[in-house]
Amino acid sequence: MSEVVLSMKGIDKRFAGVHALKGVDFDLYYGEIHALVGENGAGKSTLMKALTGIFPKDSGEINYLGKLFNPQGPKEALDAGIAIVHQELNMMEHLTVAQNLFIGRESTKHNKWILDEKAQNRRALELFAKLNMNIEPTELVRNLTVGKQQMVEIAKAVSHNLKVLVLDEPTAALTDREIEDLFAIMRDLAAQGVGMIYISHRLDEIGVITDRVTVLRDGEYVGTKATKDLSKEEMINMMVGRVIYEKPKEKSTVDEDAPVVLKVENLNAGRLVQNVSFELRKGEILGFAGLMGAGRTETMRALYGADKSSGDVWVNGRKVNINEPLDAVKVGIGYLSEDRKRFGLAVNLSVEENVVMPSLEELTPGAFIHRKNLDKVAETFVDKLSIRTPSIDQIVNNLSGGNQQKVVIAKWLIKNSSILIFDEPTRGIDVGAKSEIYHLMNELVAEGKSIIMISSELNEVLRMSDRVAVMCEGKLTGFLDIEDATQEKVMHLATLRM
Amino acid sequence: MDTTERLELKEKGRVVNMSKLLAPLALVIVYAFFAIFGRNFFSYTTLVNILDSSYYIGFIAIGVTFVIITGGIDLSCGTVMMASTIIGGTAFKTWGWPMWLALLLVLLVSTAFGFFNGFMVSHLSLPPFIATLGTMMISLGIGSIVSNVRSVAFPARGAPDSWFKSLFKYNTAGNFSIPTGAIVLFGTAFIAFLILTRTKMGRYIFAVGSNKEAARLSGVNVTRWEMSAYVISGLLAGVGGIGFAAVYTTVMPAQGQGFELYAIAGAVIGGTSLSGGAGSVLGTMIGVYIMSVLRTGLPSMNLQSQYQTFFTGVVVLGAVLLDIYRNKKATEIKILAPSDQYRIDKQLEVEALRGQINVASATKKRALREELKVLQAEIRKNYQEMKRAEKAQAEALEREEKEFEKREN
Repeated sequence: MSEVVLSMKGIDKRFAGVHALKGVDFDLYYGEIHALVGENGAGKSTLMKALTGIFPKDSGEINYLGKLFNPQGPKEALDAGIAIVHQELNMMEHLTVAQNLFIGRESTKHNKWILDEKAQNRRALELFAKLNMNIEPTELVRNLTVGKQQMVEIAKAVSHNLKVLVLDEPTAALTDREIEDLFAIMRDLAAQGVGMIYISHRLDEIGVITDRVTVLRDGEYVGTKATKDLSKEEMINMMVGRVIYEKPKEKSTVDEDAPVVLKVENLNAGRLVQNVSFELRKGEILGFAGLMGAGRTETMRALYGADKSSGDVWVNGRKVNINEPLDAVKVGIGYLSEDRKRFGLAVNLSVEENVVMPSLEELTPGAFIHRKNLDKVAETFVDKLSIRTPSIDQIVNNLSGGNQQKVVIAKWLIKNSSILIFDEPTRGIDVGAKSEIYHLMNELVAEGKSIIMISSELNEVLRMSDRVAVMCEGKLTGFLDIEDATQEKVMHLATLRM
Repeated sequence: MDTTERLELKEKGRVVNMSKLLAPLALVIVYAFFAIFGRNFFSYTTLVNILDSSYYIGFIAIGVTFVIITGGIDLSCGTVMMASTIIGGTAFKTWGWPMWLALLLVLLVSTAFGFFNGFMVSHLSLPPFIATLGTMMISLGIGSIVSNVRSVAFPARGAPDSWFKSLFKYNTAGNFSIPTGAIVLFGTAFIAFLILTRTKMGRYIFAVGSNKEAARLSGVNVTRWEMSAYVISGLLAGVGGIGFAAVYTTVMPAQGQGFELYAIAGAVIGGTSLSGGAGSVLGTMIGVYIMSVLRTGLPSMNLQSQYQTFFTGVVVLGAVLLDIYRNKKATEIKILAPSDQYRIDKQLEVEALRGQINVASATKKRALREELKVLQAEIRKNYQEMKRAEKAQAEALEREEKEFEKREN
């Protein structure tokens, strides 16, 4: 094929305690569409951030247009002709399309003092004509569909003398028709010599649109292959074929005749929760696997009453109506959010105030608080979970991530919730605290509680779950008993668009 | 929990506690300043003046503290106070209601406004700023409409039905005045303090202000408790209004605008955070009295009210800056150099050795103590060396950078 426009060699990046990129190589030709794939946390976004200088790489070199390239930030990368279109679009919704396109470099007249909207709209039209896009420059951006908005972003990138375009999950929010349009534009751009890096979880699309595929796994470079020589199964094998340090669970520990404690039927809440139905049994850990944006968190929030939803829910055989988290808490469901600082903790309050928050009504009947009671309960559970804090009056913000997570768990143990939803329970905590939390989860199910665990780490899912539910784009694509669950099977279901 | 972590937390705690003392200290300093330099400031009459002029702001400041702790704001408390007072006055004067019923009406009207605010914020999800801005104008208008834009004079001292004045200011036969209002205000402040720190309502108000979404997901009835803060603010505006009537007798229509800002200023000076989740009644009272002392003290130095406004502004800014500094200190992250890491690791060994000493037999104890001493000396020596090396390295790096820059230029 033709000439190389961009090549990265031995890119290495460490964050506190995490080796995010381990000497990754990547190269891109003029006019090529090159897929970058890997599981959640494989290092795709990190590599792109290192490329555009959002943060500096620790070592390795980037060659761009035949020269060493070290951008200090996305602005510099953009000026040099490298643009990223993110999954979440960054647009000023209340401005028009043309105003968004040319923000910071507006058309002017009268010695640059007065804006020239007419000339600017003309410029926009010319640009769209060149790209075969049919968009009105005077339309407000918020009136456009997501697909059109994305095209505006691409047009904006192209107007910067573009050589390399990075598309991060561009099709996640698009309809099939819009995807067709996007692919047509991508092929046009490729014909004009623009190299494109295409990040996506949708392996079928990768087969259709890309020329080559590079696979990353746990921050490591696995390999690059021509798309036409690579089947979907081979791609999955490259993505998941990692060394497993922890042995997966061999057998379900749930009793044969364990009763169903939670039954969910046809739960619906927007695009990311469509007709989800499942059952949870006493003493079971039901793992929810899936890729980013599969709708797992949204499903649990809908079930918990945090977001509006429709569907039928039974707890212990009784039909319940959950409209608010308050209702869910009453029937014995506890929710541990993936974002504990935003949804799990009042970080400016003390450990004690946080752990007793859901159970104040039971612990201290009447209007007044019995500090002694609360202190005793809080101290018991701080000990039980070995939360490392100098005292129960310590502000939660001053604790480490793992201990903060334990504070959230303590909340629901004090409340004595029998159904626990753990959304990414080990995210952002160190290895030691991780195994403590695994241990704790096993203890809890042994006591007869039931756990739904959402996790983006396949290892974790296979190690902890008795059964695995897999979601893809808002739909439940299948269940796997732990006895015959493998990384490949999970990944297959996680990329199965129904 | 390892030692350094504990030490660090302790240190953070100390900074926070010390800055908590700053507001009371400022009050004492301001008072002492005027006592020394002001003319006729240090007297019983002046003290009574300070107390008298703080009632109405004091009550609404306590109320607004509740609202601010939930993360909201109540811009209507000043005008609600005056509107409910003028409505009560009109009921007494024009409609001929008995005094007790008129005063009850004051409380009822102000509480109703509180409900209205609370409903708009918690049930209709209006931003508190907008909701209470609207209520501020509505209450201002209602006060004028009901009173027919005429001022209302409550009965003067000694007149029949003036018994309620003694609640806030009691004059003995010898015309010696006792500021009973201070007792009412302090009593109210104490009850408010108990509500905030000892009841579930207080807990939930702090929880809502600290992280509303987390509180909701914990099954807290967020709407109810958010609403209750506004209701309390309304009720206290009524109490403040009665205090105002008792001290100043005449109530004018369209009065009360700007009072809410003094109340908010008082809360802020006292360390209540406008982002919610933090604050105390004690702090608010101190903030109110700092403003009150300034108001009474500056005239004694021949500086009139414009100076009072000016200095209050300075105090508010100072208090907010202090609050920001305090928060930053409390959440600061320390970056560990290798030398610090070394010391932390070794400290663990020392702790372990100490544990051994505690359980060892007498003869072994001595040997272990020796070992401990050696270890500690070694740690000290290595730590200092590492620090020195790090410092030298940093300096060398800086030199290099400078030279590099020179060459570039």
